[in-house]
Amino acid sequence: MIKKSFITLIVLMFTLVSISMAFASSAEGGPDGNKRKGKYTYRKVCKSCAAAGDTESATPKISPADHTMAEWKAIFEAKNFKEFGCEAHWGKLSDKAINDIYSYFYSFAKDSPTPAKCQ
Amino acid sequence: MKPRYFLKCCVAVIMATALFCSFQPSFASTPAENNEAPGRELAKQAVKGTTRWTTTDHSHHEVLKQNFTTGEEITKACLSCHSSAATQFHKTIHWTWLATGKEKDKTYGKAGDSVNTFCLSGNNMEDKGCLSCHTGWNKKGVDGEINCLKCHNSSGFNFIESFADIKSFEGDDDPDTKEMITDIQSEIKDAVSKVAFPNRANCGNCHFNGGGGDGVKHGDLDTSMTNPNKMLDVHMGTDGQNFTCTRCHTTVDHNIAGRIYTNPAVSKRESLIDDDMAPKITCVSCHSDAPHKNDTKMNDHTDVVSCQACHIPTYARVLPTQMSWDWTTAGKLKDGKPYHEDGPLGRPIYKSIKGSFTWDKNVVPEYMWFNGSLKSATVKDIIDPGQVVKVSCPVGAESDLPALIYPFKVHKGVQPYDKINKILAAPMLSGKNGYWTTFDMNDAIKNGHKTLGIPYSGEFDYVKTSYAFPITHMVAPKENVVDCIECHTRKDGRMAKISGVFIPGRDISSIINTIGLLAIFGTLGVIVLHAVGRIVTGKNGKKEA
Repeated sequence: MIKKSFITLIVLMFTLVSISMAFASSAEGGPDGNKRKGKYTYRKVCKSCAAAGDTESATPKISPADHTMAEWKAIFEAKNFKEFGCEAHWGKLSDKAINDIYSYFYSFAKDSPTPAKCQ
Repeated sequence: MKPRYFLKCCVAVIMATALFCSFQPSFASTPAENNEAPGRELAKQAVKGTTRWTTTDHSHHEVLKQNFTTGEEITKACLSCHSSAATQFHKTIHWTWLATGKEKDKTYGKAGDSVNTFCLSGNNMEDKGCLSCHTGWNKKGVDGEINCLKCHNSSGFNFIESFADIKSFEGDDDPDTKEMITDIQSEIKDAVSKVAFPNRANCGNCHFNGGGGDGVKHGDLDTSMTNPNKMLDVHMGTDGQNFTCTRCHTTVDHNIAGRIYTNPAVSKRESLIDDDMAPKITCVSCHSDAPHKNDTKMNDHTDVVSCQACHIPTYARVLPTQMSWDWTTAGKLKDGKPYHEDGPLGRPIYKSIKGSFTWDKNVVPEYMWFNGSLKSATVKDIIDPGQVVKVSCPVGAESDLPALIYPFKVHKGVQPYDKINKILAAPMLSGKNGYWTTFDMNDAIKNGHKTLGIPYSGEFDYVKTSYAFPITHMVAPKENVVDCIECHTRKDGRMAKISGVFIPGRDISSIINTIGLLAIFGTLGVIVLHAVGRIVTGKNGKKEA
């Protein structure tokens, strides 16, 4: 009986720890989109914005390194894309595409290990 | 004529002659037509043809129009025409990271035993963090393939990132992803065709960002030199001569002149008139060693003072440069995570992975005698931890004939050393066993020393160090050169630390001073005595009737 209770306790603890770790890592790791795809989707948005005359240049004016991870989190969670210039084009993007862009900006943010500037 | 008037006439003639003689050089010299200094006239001749030309347009070459999926494929395409390029390039310091001048069991260079006050060591090319600046693909070092585009592409395109993206998209059938791959390949093709002679951005990608960031290492090389104006550099200014780096750093068989370790970059100061195949263009090559107008005193300086000492009044004039790096503070965490803090100049003053830094702008150089060679420390040199260890310092003294007074940036460091073996430490920084991952300096030194085949006692401490960089870029326009009084002054002048040479205005000769004082007070004494004599005798210059 004692042995059975001990094993159950261990299994329970293991399960709890695993679940909490899984949640912790997803919370710490930021968005789960494809950052590589996000980069190209973002560039594509910038190009179409410029082609439509909504922005002056196809070169992205906003780079991931312009904000911290926390700031990008706030911007993307609020879906506040004013800073990027052409909100109409952002409105046409799917949730998946936006999540990919969010992943790109978050992964290369100012306070990330590798801040990135768009070229 | 009365003797008294004769004497007065003689004095007047002597004074007039002296006045004439003092202006003599300007009368004797023939002014240039446009009143330019001879050094500038010569230089204009030397750089008459500044536009580089080529006989091929790479965008028309079929071999460059393929769908490249790796960098190595591009190199193969380059070498299909430039068949000797790899053989040549493999022998250069840009590839080997090893300098000439091997001493017994020591090698110099990033891939050798050299150390510095920044990221400390290249760990025999095992520290992959450094290899982003190596001229190969994918941080493989000398085991990999040459990346020709690092120096010969003007697009600024990130090929490595694009190839990595294509690879990560492989097997993804999503139409959007396929479209992305097509776009990337089109971008690559477009960028590959932009083959060019090395431009300032090509060289600057590494040399402006040496030490891990913009302006970290050199004081006279940072990204402000990518497109400088004349005020920042009279030679490289885009509104002036618009020199690229290779205009002076001339190249033979892919060997680019100018690197200094133990061997000087230039062994002789000679003009292009003496030798138009000089391996490296220096100031004297184009401007001669008597570049100023004949009626100026400046030409008398050129046998002692380098051109740079006067013509580069300050360095880091646009962007800040790092002045010190203290490794003792590295490893602090916030909420269990590494962090960094920016300072007032917009540059990091603290990074958990590296320690503390100071930065400065518009910095007045330090001046030292320099014969063109630097004495560089290696991980195999025994140090005295009780003193500031000179990791790199200029060689030369006043008695050393080719030596001149040069300006330097002196970077101050506090870095780890092996307490028992008394050698500077070369910790491994990047990678899974590196300090930037483990924050364990002891373990990082152990791993770093393994790559270099040198012992580690297991005990380390920190020692103060310095690293001197010659300042030779950021040459200012002539109206902004160092003023005479900044050196020829008694206190706190630019030459305050220079010994072995008499600098008028700074130095005192007790003999000359004594003679001068004697002359002044003697003259005054004679005048007073004369006046007193006249007053006492009551003659006051009148003859008795």
